[in-house]
Amino acid sequence: MTVFKSQRVSYYYFVLALLLFGLQVLTGLWLAANYAFTIPQGIVDIFHFGTARSFHTNLLVLWLLLGFMGGAYFMIPEETNSELYSPKIAYIQLILLALTGVAALIGFSFGWTQGTPLLEIPPLLDILVVIGALMFLFNIGMTLIKAKERTVISWTLLAGLLFLSLLYLFGHPFYKNLSNEFYWWWWVIHLWVEGAWELITASIMAWIIIKVTGVDRAVVEKWLYIEIGLFLFTGLVGTGHHYYWIGTPEYWYWWGGIFSALEPLPILLMVWDTYTHIKDRKNEIINPVVWTYIIGSAIVHFVGAGIWGFAQTLPQVNYFTHGSQVTVSHGHLAFFGAFVLINLTIFYYAIPKLKGIERFKSTLGLWGFWITNSFMFIMVLAFSAAGILQSYLERKMGLGYMTAQAEMQFWFQVVLVCGIVFFIGTVIIIYDLLSLKENKAEA
Amino acid sequence: MSIKTAKIIFWVGSMISMLILIILTFDSMGQMAVRTKEKNLSEEVVAGKKIFRKYNCNDCHTILGIGGYYAPDLTRVYRRKGAKYIESVIMDPENTLKNSFRKMPKKYAGGYEVTPEEVKKMITFFKWVDGIDTNNWPPQDHKEKTFGGNSFYQNNSAGGTNDLTLLKRKGCIDCHKIRGTGGTYGPALDGVGSRFNLQEIRKIIKEGKGNMPGRDISEENLQTIGNFLIKQKGGQK
Ligand code: HEC
Ligand code: HEC
Ligand code: HEM
Ligand code: HEM
Ligand SMILES: [Fe+2]
Repeated sequence: MTVFKSQRVSYYYFVLALLLFGLQVLTGLWLAANYAFTIPQGIVDIFHFGTARSFHTNLLVLWLLLGFMGGAYFMIPEETNSELYSPKIAYIQLILLALTGVAALIGFSFGWTQGTPLLEIPPLLDILVVIGALMFLFNIGMTLIKAKERTVISWTLLAGLLFLSLLYLFGHPFYKNLSNEFYWWWWVIHLWVEGAWELITASIMAWIIIKVTGVDRAVVEKWLYIEIGLFLFTGLVGTGHHYYWIGTPEYWYWWGGIFSALEPLPILLMVWDTYTHIKDRKNEIINPVVWTYIIGSAIVHFVGAGIWGFAQTLPQVNYFTHGSQVTVSHGHLAFFGAFVLINLTIFYYAIPKLKGIERFKSTLGLWGFWITNSFMFIMVLAFSAAGILQSYLERKMGLGYMTAQAEMQFWFQVVLVCGIVFFIGTVIIIYDLLSLKENKAEA
Repeated sequence: MSIKTAKIIFWVGSMISMLILIILTFDSMGQMAVRTKEKNLSEEVVAGKKIFRKYNCNDCHTILGIGGYYAPDLTRVYRRKGAKYIESVIMDPENTLKNSFRKMPKKYAGGYEVTPEEVKKMITFFKWVDGIDTNNWPPQDHKEKTFGGNSFYQNNSAGGTNDLTLLKRKGCIDCHKIRGTGGTYGPALDGVGSRFNLQEIRKIIKEGKGNMPGRDISEENLQTIGNFLIKQKGGQK
């Protein structure tokens, strides 16, 4: 049962996010097939790898953001102890963003693109994205202003969302100088995932932990302050780990290398404090799936971002791995642990409440968790194997790019097989979340 | 620790880092104008960049190491392959990459094809990008001077230096077939020893010939490759 009526808007955000998640993974399979086999010229001339990649990454960002927004619409009423300022704005915003997303994908297929990696959405549609974001921030902001209670968690969430929206703007002017373009491009990409989005993840994590474990809010919020402080302290100057080779000065070796090498610390702290709060829990475990996802998210977040990121962050290593499949391996595990799993956590927490379910059957949820996690991890190992081969053959031995790629092909076939199993896990999760029922047997 | 201390840690930590980032950004912008040779950034280069964006080339190819990882990095493509190859691969990918297991589009999303004028502008763009000081990245295109200014390719005998490996390492087989493997843009090198003498081969490699751009290569490697190639008088062609 939800506490506030307006929390219901979040359900529609979650459903749309889940469907787009399925579509995103499907496009990933097509990308892997492009690597594993030779795609004939006739097909390349209709729908080439680059277009598919822009589908894959834009769908990823779109569904994660819809999930975050839905999550915020679910959390904020409970945090502020009031209804949302306007559920109507929330619905209009969802429709607007969904239509913009569809228009973007159709546009990409017909060559309507900004052509910038990860930020392909053309300027006209960007305006709609900005309008959608403003509606969202206005709605959440007004709810906070009108409410009597404003907690650290709601401030952190709002700050993260505001920071996220502001940064998006840096990716959109036309820069004449390619180096300048990529300099600001990283303010979107890096400061998103290692800044703004981390604030959002940290606040959602803190909130869910308070809800399910029943531990003292003051303790959780204290750690939240320290974590986000460390995230920003290391992550802001840490942007420099992308400024080694793009026409930027050499001092970034030092600034970028040292600060980004500290970035795993706040993530480790998050693992530790999740663990202690769960150990000191006051509530019994009602739905084991939610607990599994919380712990899984904390750990995979650390492995993907902390360990895989750290492994390539020093300039001595990055010189060989920059822009290779090593990057891809880290990108997948970090996104999966930090943002996919936290989204699924909030879905598994909120959807039962929205449907008035107290206790649901955990079989499918756990299967989905273990299938996706195991095969994501093996897939990432295969990407890493391909990446290490590439770094060695192409960058260290000096072989031509395509000569090295030929040696890597086997690993892409492994990626494809893992991806297929991962996709099955995704379908299980989507099906499970959309068909949750009260479990009378275990009650 | 009290919540008050935690709050102070948050504000001090994030503000210090923000300040450092902003200061370094201002300084970097100044230095980048020099390092990227902004004085050479002509209107034609900018037009080339727009075309590069228009066809979404960057989602298959990295440039400065950023983008899709499906196709060769284009930061140094101008020195690696030369203008003629670039033109040929964009205008006629089907034939240029006939033997390759990975294809490049002739028609882009929406059915558009690159025009000859557009290729010219993009080549000007690649030429300008080739001049950016990237701290010697990528390593494979800076064989004479890599990370930290020294080269780990010189005197590097890993994998043998006096045979096919060197042809691979020097990128020759990107364009030439030898013993059945390699590109088709240039002629197969299997019988090259019966067509040219050592002097001529050395000259071709150093200065280029027809559509082949001259190669930036050390004397030692030139000697090894030259000596290897004049021995190639064999059949497989
Ligand atoms: C579907 C992905 C794809 C797209 C889109 C694409 N390319 Fe390529 N391109 C390739 C592949 C694959 C190769 C290398 C094939 C080989 O050498 O066997 C290549 C090779 C090249 C090369 C030669 C690089 C070298 O070192 O050999 C250049 C230059 C190039 N492309 C330019 C472009 C430009 C300019 C565009 C945009 C108009 C573009 N490409 C779009 C896939 C793509
Ligand atoms: C960008 C593609 C390209 C690269 C890289 C390249 N070549 Fe060539 N090469 C060509 C082309 C094209 C020709 C034919 C020139 C002509 O006759 O018009 C050629 C011709 C030659 C010839 C004369 C062969 C003949 O039968 O006419 C030799 C020898 C040769 N290349 C050696 C090398 C060596 C050695 C390397 C590596 C250090 C190398 N090439 C790298 C494109 C390339
Ligand atoms: C949640 C956190 C993170 C996510 C989602 C994430 C995601 C990504 C992605 C997608 C890229 C590739 C961008 C591109 O070029 O297209 C990337 C690059 C990179 N990341 Fe992360 N990252 C995270 C945290 C970290 C951390 C903590 C570190 C360091 C300790 C790190 C180090 C790096 C480095 C060095 C690169 C550049 C790789 C290259 O040179 O090609 N990342 N990250
Ligand atoms: C079936 C599963 C999947 C497969 C086979 C797959 C495959 C791929 C491939 C081949 C690329 C292109 C990399 C390149 O440019 O060469 C890619 C990009 C990317 N994918 Fe996936 N993917 C899958 C699922 C996912 C999931 C679940 C996520 C989110 C966690 C994700 C996040 C990304 C990101 C962030 C990029 C951009 C990477 C970068 O720039 O470094 N993918 N994917
Ligand atoms: Fe980063």
